[in-house]
Amino acid sequence: MASSFITFKKKILALQEYSLMLKDLFLSIKSINKCKRDAINEMYLVGSQAFLLVLLGGAFVGIILALETGYQLDLFGAKTLVGRTVSLGMVRELGPTITGLLLAARTGAKNASELGAMQISEQIDALRAFGTNPVLKLVMPRTIAAMVMFLPLTAIADMSGILSGMVVTKLSLHVDTSFFWNSAISALLIKDIFVGFTKPILFAFFIATISCFYGFNTRGGTSALGKNTINAVVVSSLTVLVLDFILTKIVWELL
Amino acid sequence: MIRLENVSLAFGDKVILDNTSLSIKKGEIAIILGPSGAGKSSILKIMVGLWQPDAGRVLINNKDISKLSELEMLPLRRKMGIVFQGNALFDSLTVKENVAYFLREHGGIKESLVNEKVSEVLSFVNLEGTEKICIDELSGGMKKRVAIARALSFDPDIIFYDEPTTGLDPINSKSILDLIKRASSRGATSVVVTHILNDAIYIGDTLSVINEGAVVETGTVYEMLRSENKFVKDFFYEVFQDAALLQNKIL
Ligand SMILES: Nc1ncnc2c1ncn2[C@@H]1O[C@H](COP(=O)(O)OP(=O)(O)OP(=O)(O)O)[C@@H](O)[C@H]1O
Ligand SMILES: [Mg+2]
Repeated sequence: MASSFITFKKKILALQEYSLMLKDLFLSIKSINKCKRDAINEMYLVGSQAFLLVLLGGAFVGIILALETGYQLDLFGAKTLVGRTVSLGMVRELGPTITGLLLAARTGAKNASELGAMQISEQIDALRAFGTNPVLKLVMPRTIAAMVMFLPLTAIADMSGILSGMVVTKLSLHVDTSFFWNSAISALLIKDIFVGFTKPILFAFFIATISCFYGFNTRGGTSALGKNTINAVVVSSLTVLVLDFILTKIVWELL
Repeated sequence: MIRLENVSLAFGDKVILDNTSLSIKKGEIAIILGPSGAGKSSILKIMVGLWQPDAGRVLINNKDISKLSELEMLPLRRKMGIVFQGNALFDSLTVKENVAYFLREHGGIKESLVNEKVSEVLSFVNLEGTEKICIDELSGGMKKRVAIARALSFDPDIIFYDEPTTGLDPINSKSILDLIKRASSRGATSVVVTHILNDAIYIGDTLSVINEGAVVETGTVYEMLRSENKFVKDFFYEVFQDAALLQNKIL
């Protein structure tokens, strides 16, 4: 009982420190020019490392979506609706979520382990001793890079999902590709695209800041580094799912 | 020049520094000597303003830094060079980029002057021509030298060394200690944290012995050797033992 209370207290304290880091991040927006080069470098890393991952992830989700809904719709003689289902499902939900989860693992682990290693080897102390704000130097470029790169990556996941869904529908349900394509595109409203691309920006922000936070708070030796990297991935993945739920809910209520 | 007054620090229930005081004079090589876990690195981090004490004052040139924000600390940071226990070199950068880091970050200094300064400090630590090498490719002794060069790059008034010889062989140790002496003879105040008694005796002007988060006694080597304090006696026992051992071998 007492120990679970202490864990709870620690969690609250961590949340407080996380908010302080976010405050620091927002305050350093005015010096954003200073980290342009680091940000571009990070963008390149995020993009190049995640491209294939997202392409494949999107493709398989699209295939599964097409097959599952295709067989069901076929029972009702409505297999012509598959295109519509796949495109709405990909753009609104699965594209952003899959990209978010894959990047929570890929980028989240990278951030947490890099910053954790820097913390353990006192490099972050050294930065501060040289009068560099570590949040501006390390967290800001990673956050910007994630927020910028998640958009094209999500678009890639969406496209790859829709296209592979189209191929699979043609092969297994014999729905004409141009028919699939037309119904897929015409189903998409501005609203869906707006939702589908707001999500990744928010996911990116939280994945980047949460994973950097875990990296910063690595204390002790290499075992702490491993543990914190795992926690960073777990917490950012869960955050993606919870945020997805909240955003979907808001959108259904409001739009 | 540097004075700690009744400084305390704790992480949760764990007391790291316990109401301890210490003062260091301008221009000297001050040694903070103590066993592993005594709180040496912690005291250093408080002196350079990386950590804030829970209680007490930290005076640098009569200015209390214990409650300053990062921004207010900045002018003082330009006066303090730090050599961290694990070097803390930026391992994604080259030797030159490490040494030039501070100059580029704050100087607004022309690149030609940066180059000049970098090659000057690198030759001071006997590492001429290593500018383009990556940090990972250096040996332990070389890394320590780069860390010292980085700390010297902006001509600080005070240089802090955290265990500068730990993990080095006797030859490298000696040359690092000589380097610290040479750097100090250029006029800077030096604060050296170590647990190695011989090193302390070799370079120290004054020694402060620290145990369990508090300074036990401060004085010259001579004063320490004649101390009546039990912990200091135990710590310095090694010297007498070594001397006796040598004598036995020779005779
Ligand atoms: N961030 C921290 N959180 C909690 N405890 C810490 C932290 N940093 C240091 N400590 C504890 O404070 C005590 C003193 O640590 P410090 O690093 O100052 O000792 P030290 O004298 O430098 O030892 P060493 O010779 O091992 O470097 C140790 O018991 C250590 O476990
Ligand atoms: Mg230490």
